[in-house]
Amino acid sequence: MAAPAARAEVEPGGWNATSPSFTVQERGCGQVDNLTFTLTCSTASGDQRAERRYATYTGGTRQFEGYFRIAAMGGTRISLKQTFNESASGPYFMLAAERGGRLYAVHGGTTLSTAGTVGATVRVNTVHQVGTSHRTYVNGSLKHTYSSPGGSFYDKFGAYRTDSGSGPATVVWSNVKFWSK
Amino acid sequence: MLPRPRPAALVVLVLALAGCTASPGAAPDRARAARPAPHAGGPVLTGKLDSPVDVTLRWTGDEPGAAGRVLEFATESTGPYTVLEFLAPGRTDFEHPDLMPHTPFFYRLRPYFGPASAPVEVTLPPGEPTAKDQEDDHTWTAPRTLDGPPVTTHPVVDTSGGPLSAGRTRAVDAAAPGGLRATVMHAAGIRFTWTDHAADEDGFLLEARPSGSGTYHPVAVLDPDINSFGLITLPEEKRASYRVRAFVYGEQSNVVRLETGSDGR
Repeated sequence: MAAPAARAEVEPGGWNATSPSFTVQERGCGQVDNLTFTLTCSTASGDQRAERRYATYTGGTRQFEGYFRIAAMGGTRISLKQTFNESASGPYFMLAAERGGRLYAVHGGTTLSTAGTVGATVRVNTVHQVGTSHRTYVNGSLKHTYSSPGGSFYDKFGAYRTDSGSGPATVVWSNVKFWSK
Repeated sequence: MLPRPRPAALVVLVLALAGCTASPGAAPDRARAARPAPHAGGPVLTGKLDSPVDVTLRWTGDEPGAAGRVLEFATESTGPYTVLEFLAPGRTDFEHPDLMPHTPFFYRLRPYFGPASAPVEVTLPPGEPTAKDQEDDHTWTAPRTLDGPPVTTHPVVDTSGGPLSAGRTRAVDAAAPGGLRATVMHAAGIRFTWTDHAADEDGFLLEARPSGSGTYHPVAVLDPDINSFGLITLPEEKRASYRVRAFVYGEQSNVVRLETGSDGR
């Protein structure tokens, strides 16, 4: 059954709300309780993750919207949201929190915010035109633009220790939505 | 249970209220907060598009007794609204740039009221946390409610003198967090504990004023009844003053609706 048309947040016209399937990934000290994602340890090595991994998409344009709140973070460089390039077997886009949730940065080191307030809710929208571009809006403002290769991708969000990061962290997501066209 | 402080930990203790206990108090039964109502002289929010995707918001008017305001936005009239910034009382404008194109934006202001604790001054050791520091489990950073002896609690604001329209709403000093204590855990980590004297708070704000800065600004928003929290600091916070504020939100301002245009892509 086709999903009903929905008002999209970016580039209106032709969007359809979707409900992609997902799997829950808990590795190391990662724990998932519905939309609360926790890393209980400060281990700075190995696979430490608490995430939702959504179904692969290929082609077209996909929009993600979600709200996260860093309820607690003693560590740094914890990935909050990824667009994963399945074709290249690696993260293509990553939004991460640094220094206990005080700063937000993306893959490549671009700082998105210099005034992170722990405990405040932050809204994220990403628009991915496969083969063209990937744009990230934080609290409504465009903060990052990437060119995009073609191929297969999927969305992930939660709390994930990056190569240079460590927990602990508790991240609460809410109002997660997807659209495609 | 409190973790045992490190031998080298620096402890700063302030007894903000005469007769208060230095031990974090147990959370009292929660009462319903009195909500300061909007008043005729309250802020009026206006906004304009500086370009198809850039917005400037301005507001006029006063909010007697307010500790500050939050500016919030949504893209649906029914929300959810997201806080863009906690604003000092004297602030009168905000720029919201590079917005999502062809999208309706809804903006509103909400004041917040409440008393702050006495401040504590914290000087951190130079440099960054050591590898050993990083290995610590950092459980002290999690917001939590520590048990303690019973304490007397008070409403965060006093509206008994009349409605806010008369400009008589004021923070109740006795509801201020007491006994604020800052323990330096490492070169970029401070644990704060305090006694909750508020009966009806919407939450607590941990506010910081880095050395050389003239004003405090919120660095953490905490749930009601929290009385322990650990902050990971920024480089500019090696020397800073901190305080904790119990707060309640007031009524929202008028809502401004603006619709963005094309961003040229």
